[in-house]
Amino acid sequence: MGRLNEKVSYWMLVAPALTIMIVFYILPVLGIWEIAFTEPTTGVDNFVKMAESSAVKTSFVLTFRVAAITTLGCLLLGYIVAYSISNFANKFTPLMLALVILPFWVSVLIRSFSWIVLLGRSGLVNDTLRDTGIIDSPLRLMHNEFGVLIAMIHVMLPFAILPMMTNMRGISDAYVKAARGLGASEWTAFWNVYFPQTIPGVMSGALLVFVLSLGFYVTPALLGGGRVLMISEYITYQIQEFLNWGLGSALSVGLLVATALVLLIASRFINLRSALLERK
Amino acid sequence: MTDTTDFEAKRDIADIAVERYKQGRLTRRGFIAAMGALGILPALGSKVSAQANEIVVVNWGGTAKDVLEEVLAETYTAETGVPVVIDGSGPSAGKIRAMVESGAVVWDLCDSGAGSAIILEQQGITQPIDYSIVDKSKVLEGTAYNNGVGNYIYSYVLATNPKMLGGNVPQNWADVWNTKDFPGMRTFRKSVRGMLESATMAQGIAPEEVYSVLNTEDGIAAAIAKFRELRENIIVWGSGSDSQNLFLQEEVAIGNIWSTRAHLLKDQMDEGSFQVSFNGGVMAPGIWVVPKDNPAGTEEVMKFIAHAQKPELQVKWLELLGSGPINPAAAPMVPEELARWNPTSPENLATQILYNDEWYAKHQVAAEEMYVDALIN
Repeated sequence: MGRLNEKVSYWMLVAPALTIMIVFYILPVLGIWEIAFTEPTTGVDNFVKMAESSAVKTSFVLTFRVAAITTLGCLLLGYIVAYSISNFANKFTPLMLALVILPFWVSVLIRSFSWIVLLGRSGLVNDTLRDTGIIDSPLRLMHNEFGVLIAMIHVMLPFAILPMMTNMRGISDAYVKAARGLGASEWTAFWNVYFPQTIPGVMSGALLVFVLSLGFYVTPALLGGGRVLMISEYITYQIQEFLNWGLGSALSVGLLVATALVLLIASRFINLRSALLERK
Repeated sequence: MTDTTDFEAKRDIADIAVERYKQGRLTRRGFIAAMGALGILPALGSKVSAQANEIVVVNWGGTAKDVLEEVLAETYTAETGVPVVIDGSGPSAGKIRAMVESGAVVWDLCDSGAGSAIILEQQGITQPIDYSIVDKSKVLEGTAYNNGVGNYIYSYVLATNPKMLGGNVPQNWADVWNTKDFPGMRTFRKSVRGMLESATMAQGIAPEEVYSVLNTEDGIAAAIAKFRELRENIIVWGSGSDSQNLFLQEEVAIGNIWSTRAHLLKDQMDEGSFQVSFNGGVMAPGIWVVPKDNPAGTEEVMKFIAHAQKPELQVKWLELLGSGPINPAAAPMVPEELARWNPTSPENLATQILYNDEWYAKHQVAAEEMYVDALIN
């Protein structure tokens, strides 16, 4: 049996997923590109309008800032969780794993609404602080960027933890033990020996969280009080409120290109292939 | 982009439905539902013949549909024997136009807005109102158009929570912009509708001057600047229920919201923790429009509109939904405890202005962009 046969079975295996991608993703995306360049007039009018609007610029800056801070927050918190689960095996490990995955079973909408219950002016957090006398008047915990960040870090956390944990579980503890045996302090052993091995996991977690955060819609819309207008909400606004499909599509093309640029720049500094595909 | 929908197949299914309808095996309601499900009302030929044995009134669904059914439809049927069907599928200008242009009109009367009514009239999609049957004096001045007539009123009003404000409540829009004496968060709509007017009045401009000021570029810029100034104290509402939630959860103490939502809040909030002021309010009318070649015929629909003008029915509507009677004669019949919540009571009428659709047609898109920018940048 020759190579040809192998090739055929390869394509047979790939075909269903590929077809779905082409029909339900690639084609619609091309349609969006077409609208961006043809409505209401053919040309780059929409992009000129986009570049001239200071609201769009602000929204883009805001989107990238929120995504970046969310990513940092998720990495920091996620690393600690992933480290503990992978390195301190005990009877609670399965429970901890379950707790990481559990939020996936609850819709983002519900989780965002829960934060409203917690962070509101007369929410649980403010009420508790007031009852214990720590504050006099309620803190503004939501309807601003702070509230959006809290909820987004919460929603994105599993996306940071899981790749880092997979990576850490594959690291043999022999290296750290050897370093300690050779006289390295606990910190040196961690920082110089353990941490560098976890970089691929950290990077794939970071990329996953960052890219997902860029397109986030529900959480900022609910917790931002209308003033944390991320680009995806701005797109909805253009299309639903003004039936302005041209500008809305141009904005999504802009977001797509910006995201691609981020990946391109990232690839100059980290090996994307090893970060995303080979979690060792 | 080319539309690749299989209209042939859809038209065929539609033809079948039309046949059934003619044979009497499909009720009109079922027919509309079938057409709606196929998404091809417009694709239909002119095969539906007019049979005026019922009136189809279309509004935007929800509780309003049930109330319309109970208050207007059942009473009309009881009086005249003509059945009235309420369809809550939302008669947008686009849908009405598509229906009329395809020659397959199944709606008799639509709950539209002034903006849509004007456009539809210009495009020749709607019929003139027969003012020999419909009484012009029974609607608020300024809401009787050639091809559309006032239906009810809702207002953009100044809502406050006196409890949160310690009894010191803003009396006008200038007070709303005064964060020193009235601290706390305010809520405004995520659109300039009804909002720029309040920002203009906050500059001390008399209500009747508002739209002439807003008709200048400086006027718009000044109103937008007011929002930029206040934005740290603003939470934005997107839907009516958003605004309701913000008050219920005590996120805001002050807001520019719809009087119909205020009507719900007055029953939901504790005594003394909610009130509205119609001072500087902006009244927006709902407008009845009649599509051309409506199946029930012009006269029957006009009779129905006239029926809906009866003040006692409009008062009932206010009680159930909070939308104000368009007929000024209804005001004295409003129960005393509801009078101050009624957008069209004489006292409230005196302090409000009518929403100006012509201004919105000219300036809204540009103003929206500036508004978003003022709030976030």
